[in-house]
Amino acid sequence: MGIKSIEVTDRLYWLGRYSERVYTSLRLFAKSYDDMLDKGDTYGELCRSLEIPNIYPTAQNFLRRYPFDESDPNSIASNLRRAYDNAVELRQEIGTEELSYIQLAVYEMNRARLSDAPMLEFQKIADNILAFWGIIDDQVEDENTRNIIKVGKRVERIDLFGRLHASQVDLHREVRRLQGRIDRCTIRYDRACLAELGRLVEAEPLDYSAIVQTVERLTAV
Amino acid sequence: MYEMDLIERANSVNELLARYGVKFGIYKNGTFKEQLFPFDAIPRVIPADEFDLLDRGLRQRVKALNLFLEDIYNEKKIVRDRVVPEEFIYASSGYLPQCEGIRPSGGVFSHISGIDLVLGKDGSWYILEDNLRVPSGASYPLIVRDLCRRSSPRTFQEFHIEDNRNYAQLLRHTMDYANVGGLTVVLTPGRYNAAYFEHSYLAEQTHSPLVSGQDLVVEEDGVYLLDYTGKKERVGAVYRRISDDFLDPLSFRPESLIGVPGLFQAYRKGQVAILNAPGNGVADDKGIYYFVPKMIQYYLGEQPILSNAPTYLPFFEEDMKSVLEHLDTLVLKDVAEAGGYGVVFGSKMSARQKEDFVALLKAEPRRFITQEVIDFQDLDIMDNGVRVPRKADLRAFVLSAEEPVAWKSGLTRFSRNPDSFIVNSSQGGGFKDTWVLSR
Repeated sequence: MGIKSIEVTDRLYWLGRYSERVYTSLRLFAKSYDDMLDKGDTYGELCRSLEIPNIYPTAQNFLRRYPFDESDPNSIASNLRRAYDNAVELRQEIGTEELSYIQLAVYEMNRARLSDAPMLEFQKIADNILAFWGIIDDQVEDENTRNIIKVGKRVERIDLFGRLHASQVDLHREVRRLQGRIDRCTIRYDRACLAELGRLVEAEPLDYSAIVQTVERLTAV
Repeated sequence: MYEMDLIERANSVNELLARYGVKFGIYKNGTFKEQLFPFDAIPRVIPADEFDLLDRGLRQRVKALNLFLEDIYNEKKIVRDRVVPEEFIYASSGYLPQCEGIRPSGGVFSHISGIDLVLGKDGSWYILEDNLRVPSGASYPLIVRDLCRRSSPRTFQEFHIEDNRNYAQLLRHTMDYANVGGLTVVLTPGRYNAAYFEHSYLAEQTHSPLVSGQDLVVEEDGVYLLDYTGKKERVGAVYRRISDDFLDPLSFRPESLIGVPGLFQAYRKGQVAILNAPGNGVADDKGIYYFVPKMIQYYLGEQPILSNAPTYLPFFEEDMKSVLEHLDTLVLKDVAEAGGYGVVFGSKMSARQKEDFVALLKAEPRRFITQEVIDFQDLDIMDNGVRVPRKADLRAFVLSAEEPVAWKSGLTRFSRNPDSFIVNSSQGGGFKDTWVLSR
């Protein structure tokens, strides 16, 4: 493994986390949007699950601000901006071609913001995130680089799954993937936390709150 | 004929440049913005024999400038022999007394030199200025060539165009030549620097870690890159993209947060190479520019192959007289400014402005140089589908390792404003590919 500065390691990890957050948020938003067509103003439920403040006075306001408002730190656009901010400082690590997919996702977000049918445009953002993960896997030679991004992605996914009360099968799978990956890179983590996470996803019923808290502590060392 | 392919597909090339984040940063009203650097598909074409002359002239100039730097920070023969007045050395903001007595590894001070030229209507190239500190711009023609080859492959089959995609190899060789043992890193002030794209792109292309000041640590005069686990690796060369002032808070501006404490001391002791060497500003000062032809004669015993733009130094009484008489025909440059700022055309000043300027000139004659306005050749650009002429310059790059090598390409910048001579990207200019023909 080549030497990697502290800053690069942090940015790779957070690039993984924010890209996952954008991807999953897009999927949740699409579902929430669809639900609202039949069930009315159900967006409060999504806010509660994600533990984000419900600052949206109306469904219309939510539909506009949650995806696009960069002054709202919880919006999808803000999370995409953070993914970009990390990616743009990693060109030398991940490569120009690889970085371009995050850049394209940003352009698609800007287009969606102006579109009359943003839900259609969101597919292109999701496609670019998926393409980004794919090209990282396929083209980035340094295993450490790939694994740090993947660890960030897994941590974020477990965190979101915990908040959204995902099934035990899903959580178990994600924790297993994280366990198989985390020692294959130079990221520092709390081994006791990882062991605890393993126990928590085996327990019945699942303690979702403990899962979220534990995964958040995992790399905060 | 094939050039038409390039023009018709220019939008696609610009879209790819946007995709790859080929941008520069700019501060407007205190806010940082990233802007795309507009690309025009009509190339600047330099015939082989013309580039041969440029090549010889550029190498000659950079060789003399390197000798000048070594001399100024060591024996100062050129001052003793009164070829360059000492006022132009010690009053220059680019002169750093901290660099006295230093001879960098490999004897090279200006490893990457960016020399700005224009092609006059008389067919001669004129040097406008030398950039020996942290010249930027090579990354743009480098990345765009790849895209142009995709855009119009037949063009590159048909014409004999030198492949400029060797810049990263030339740069890497230059870094390796200077390296005293260890990693080579690219040191950036960070994301909010105007040339950040270039820093990260050249780091990627030369397979060098891109680092910020906090990633490096100096211990017992050795420079190390730190990693997440506390592991350290020795650094042998720093391609810094930070200006001298901010390079090391222990030796230069103490408030610098982007530098590396102790880096300069390590360099002074020969424990690390810094590209370009600190203190080079004394040689690319706009005031010193006037003396470069004299340096070539002094150090190399040769006549300059490339000419300066006709320049006057108000510092000299005779030149001051001439400047005051012909103010309307001259361009006035503040030696402390760069990036197209501090440049005023005498013909565009009001009577009041002229009066104020003359007072300033008399009070601070060392601060300004004046040049005759060169009637330089326009290059065609496409402006909303119409082919129109615009002012353009060329930044040529010379990389110095064992010997200086002129890169067979360069950054051609143009003004998008029909009434402007200012081509800088920060002032709305665009860029072109620069073709050097191989035969």
